[in-house]
Amino acid sequence: MLAADSALLHETDPVALHDTDPVPLHETLSERKRRFEQWVLPHFDAAYNLARWLTRNDHDAQDVVQEAVLRAYRFFDGLRGEAKPWLLSIVRNSFLTWLHINRPAETVGFDDGAIDLIPTDADGPEILAARSFDRKMLNEAIAALPLQFREVLILRELEDLSYKDIARIADVPIGTVMSRLARARRLVAQSLGATSNISGTQVHK
Amino acid sequence: MTREEAARLLHAYIDGELDPVKSLELEAHLAENPSVRAACERLRGMSAAIRDKADYHPAPAWLEARVRAAIPAGPENVSAPWWRWLKPAGSFSAAADWLRPAASFAAVALVTWVVALGTMRPSEDERITQEVLASHVRATLANRFYDVASSDQHTVKPWLSARLAFSPPVADLSASGFELVGGRLDYIGAQPVAVLVYKRRQHLIDVFVWPVEAQKTEQTLAHDGFNIERFARNGMGFWVVSDLSRNELDDFVRLLAAP
Repeated sequence: MLAADSALLHETDPVALHDTDPVPLHETLSERKRRFEQWVLPHFDAAYNLARWLTRNDHDAQDVVQEAVLRAYRFFDGLRGEAKPWLLSIVRNSFLTWLHINRPAETVGFDDGAIDLIPTDADGPEILAARSFDRKMLNEAIAALPLQFREVLILRELEDLSYKDIARIADVPIGTVMSRLARARRLVAQSLGATSNISGTQVHK
Repeated sequence: MTREEAARLLHAYIDGELDPVKSLELEAHLAENPSVRAACERLRGMSAAIRDKADYHPAPAWLEARVRAAIPAGPENVSAPWWRWLKPAGSFSAAADWLRPAASFAAVALVTWVVALGTMRPSEDERITQEVLASHVRATLANRFYDVASSDQHTVKPWLSARLAFSPPVADLSASGFELVGGRLDYIGAQPVAVLVYKRRQHLIDVFVWPVEAQKTEQTLAHDGFNIERFARNGMGFWVVSDLSRNELDDFVRLLAAP
């Protein structure tokens, strides 16, 4: 654990054990389905977006999301707190299952905490004047990130989730979320910087 | 604040995740250091560019429709609640009508039985299970896991021995990925006991230890999302409580119980 983690918000929040509405006792199945649709399905796009960025193609994302939502329905009574991070953690688990079966080679090291890199240096000149980034190159740079960096970046920048929620979804401590996010941004910047340097050289030759 | 620390906290700062005190310290540092300030601005630009330009993939409408249709709403759902059978349902066949009074009777009998169970005195094991679980949850809620914080078994063991009538065995399992983080005292089953606290990733494992007379059988329990295991070795009883997965906790107990 990093020494300065206590500087982060939420780090010492107690775990909320029972902070959701109780399940109605005499709920029929159609009522249960309606409640599920009301609470969980508003986050269907978020689920798809995460699955799409994890699998990097539409076809597999569709499979992963369908599996995840059906799984979520089975475990709906276990929902505690907010539905969005809960659903996204199920999407991630479904994705890992899918990955394990379909791309076993890519699972190597994904859950290995040893990969974490602690940012030690100031974000130097490789972080460029970012507004000028080319949209296509930026998307390619994110898609090329290793999984554990890609997922935190998507959850933070595209789903606007807190470190605390991301930590729950990615099943890592909050300090690890911060270091992975820092690493993810630096890797994207480096890959864009490298690309633009190359093209810059060509233009000014 | 050092330059290194400022650089490290910049990400949490631009994400609005830094606590107010550190934010003020960092802002003071930024005011004095134009180069760090520039790095901060580049980082904000980077974050804004990703939000602005990275593709957001909304789900195709047909997929949502397909998934909605696939969610079971009929009685074929395997996880149907048992009380469904007590309720009148239009789809029931006439043959099922006679089942309903029978089911009601069975339910009354079941309730009577459960109430009778509840009023009986819990066994000693159940009481201890409740007590170790309560101790673990209390420590988690209060964020106070140990009275002595140390990863060194030679610090934790004497500290506990000095305060108890026995000397608990303290194993170093760090080589297997279970890091000792400290120890505390608690009062379980009407006696003071030692609690060794280990850590696996962000999961804490409480090991309650006290002397026992008989060799109790090994047992695994699950309770409210926590896994509880218990065993006895060399005259000591061990109760292990954690929210760690069953498999990993099994590994831990195997290591702990190894002679």
